[in-house]
Amino acid sequence: MLSPKQMSRLLIIASKDRMQNVIQELYSHRVFHIRDFVEENHGLSIGSPLPTAGEASSRLVKVRSLESTFGIRTDEMKASKRRSVRELKSIVDRDLNPLQEEVEALLAKKAAMEAELKDQEQRIRDLAPFTLSPLRLEDYRGYESLAVFMGRIGRDVAIAGPHEKVYTPSKDGNFIAVFVPVQAASETQKELERAGFTPIPVPEGVGQPKELMEQSSRRISELKAEMARMEERLVRLREERAEFIAACHELLEMEVEQAEAPLRFATTQEAFIVEGWVPVEEVDRLKSGLSLATDGKAYVQEIHDGEHVPAPVEYDNPAFARPTELLIDTYSRPRYEEIDPTLIVSIIFPIFFGLILGDVGYGILLLAVSLGLRKLLPSGDGRKLLDTMRNGAVSSIFFGILFSEFFGYGFDKFGIPWEPLLYSRHLNIGAEASHEGGHSGPMITELLMMAIWIGILQITLGRLLSAVNHYRHHGIRGVIPQFGWISVMWGILFMLWSMYALPLMPDLTGLAVVAMGLNFAGLLGLILIVAGAIAIFTESALELIEIPTIISHTLSYARLVAVGLSSVAIAMVVNYIAIGMLIGPQLEQLSIMGIVFIVMGVLVLVIGHLMNTALGVVGGGLQSLRLQYVEFFTKFYKGGGVKYNPFGKIRRFTED
Amino acid sequence: MAVENLTGLSVEMIEASQMGMTALAAAIAVGSTGIASAFAEYGIGSAAVGATAENKDVFGLVLLLTVIPETIVIFGLVVALLMLF
Repeated sequence: MLSPKQMSRLLIIASKDRMQNVIQELYSHRVFHIRDFVEENHGLSIGSPLPTAGEASSRLVKVRSLESTFGIRTDEMKASKRRSVRELKSIVDRDLNPLQEEVEALLAKKAAMEAELKDQEQRIRDLAPFTLSPLRLEDYRGYESLAVFMGRIGRDVAIAGPHEKVYTPSKDGNFIAVFVPVQAASETQKELERAGFTPIPVPEGVGQPKELMEQSSRRISELKAEMARMEERLVRLREERAEFIAACHELLEMEVEQAEAPLRFATTQEAFIVEGWVPVEEVDRLKSGLSLATDGKAYVQEIHDGEHVPAPVEYDNPAFARPTELLIDTYSRPRYEEIDPTLIVSIIFPIFFGLILGDVGYGILLLAVSLGLRKLLPSGDGRKLLDTMRNGAVSSIFFGILFSEFFGYGFDKFGIPWEPLLYSRHLNIGAEASHEGGHSGPMITELLMMAIWIGILQITLGRLLSAVNHYRHHGIRGVIPQFGWISVMWGILFMLWSMYALPLMPDLTGLAVVAMGLNFAGLLGLILIVAGAIAIFTESALELIEIPTIISHTLSYARLVAVGLSSVAIAMVVNYIAIGMLIGPQLEQLSIMGIVFIVMGVLVLVIGHLMNTALGVVGGGLQSLRLQYVEFFTKFYKGGGVKYNPFGKIRRFTED
Repeated sequence: MAVENLTGLSVEMIEASQMGMTALAAAIAVGSTGIASAFAEYGIGSAAVGATAENKDVFGLVLLLTVIPETIVIFGLVVALLMLF
């Protein structure tokens, strides 16, 4: 529960001709976390891949290229049936290459068509200016004694000397074609340039530009139809073959992983050695499986030496705590020998979230959102996050009832005689300030003290957990400084209690003064502080500098109240503006303008509360997470464990 | 009465003015700590975005680092709340 799954370290030794059997067996069990062999000078060398590796890899590349062509994402696909490996293998041998060739041919053809489509479109653009003139394309070229100018021009020009001219005004630019004797060419060109002439080359081909353009348009529509057919063919292929491709992917990936496994083994001339970790409860099954697969020709040994090899870490939590593993992984996975805080956080985190966002309305909204989105996300981190949010939402509803809050209103506003069971967070804002019901206003001091108490308890818990961690590592010597920290914290508390009467805290000011102007509690506090400081000193003198963090970390828990109050304040302000100022007064005397105001009021209400919900999730989530990470974890948790990654694959499309 | 004669203010006026001062003080407490938090988060935030662009795995960690200065404004808010209520 509070520690990761127990692992056994296994050593497997067998002769090389059994390698494939061993690999297959390990792979099918999917429990063995291989410790990669690192070549050192032990006379051992890294193994070489099985002979099937090359073929499988090149096929896998093909499958992946098919996947990217079709936009298939195997991890998001649902398998309708499982195919047997034997059958699939023969289908792969037969079908994979033709399929890939077909798809490649289709793609090549499509690319060629796309190129032609572009060419035809360009031709239409090139021909467009010439459709303005009645001349055929061949009329513009092939002269020896004539110079031809054609292009766009700003205005019509008068040309001196013998010439022939076609001028067509147009919105997109006037078209001009001028035929002059070669001798007059340069002069004519100057003339034209003065009028803003830009030449256009004559497109290739013969005939009427208009007809040519129509030809091209016809070709374009043909091409488009053809491409659509091809696209359809690809879509059909995708539909027919997607699952086959996914199954191929799985099969080939399995083959490649198995074939390349020897790269993680140590080998000699004749034998190989694999080292790794197996969850304790799986050891016997794996052992018997291996002996069956190799006819008892594999030597399997559990190792219990003192060598410090960090075991991989697999969480071992009850189902309700599992979503929280995401939050722990975000910080860092626990190390094997340290306390796994997932369970603790999975209980405390929703409570903090609820304390901050405690509002029945927002809670229901979040619950609906998290349950609704849950259907869209079948698995993975997103779902874990949603489950965490769901837990937070439930806790929010619970605390909402305790705080008597519904979208910022007290329950009494809806005629339900329900006063906050916990301290009231109702602020005196706007109309609420003169609330005739006699709200006493928020009980800020009590709320803050409650938050501080939560902080004191959680920090103490953190230090106790740290004591356990240190005890495992360093024995009783490691425990002393941890109790030193606890002692200093409670010493400070005792001194405070002896001097000031604080709400929700024991009042010890009345005790008789014993010495140094301190009463018994004060003296006890002083002794605790000094003893604690000495205990901390035994670990490291530098740690003493950290003592003020006791106070700052404890006060940091005030955010549980402060962030929550700000969210209440926003909700109440939104209600006040929307209902109190915009909707309420208009409802009393309905008018046209009034309806506009009411619509505006509803908008303010909806947008305001949605925004506040989002802020509440961010505020409630991040702030309470931060309290775990910064204030709680720094006391005892280091993390940095290796993730348990068993050799094998979760199969979804294939079976043996 | 003496106060009234000296300053020309009634007790109620003085009380109201004190309440106003408290509100102002609370505003300064929240406002200035808010600016301080924002300033601190500005640096961390931009570095965090840069780091996330390099390596997505650090997102959780940098998100956390970014909210650490939030404590400043929370202390301000707590002080303001204590002043007001």
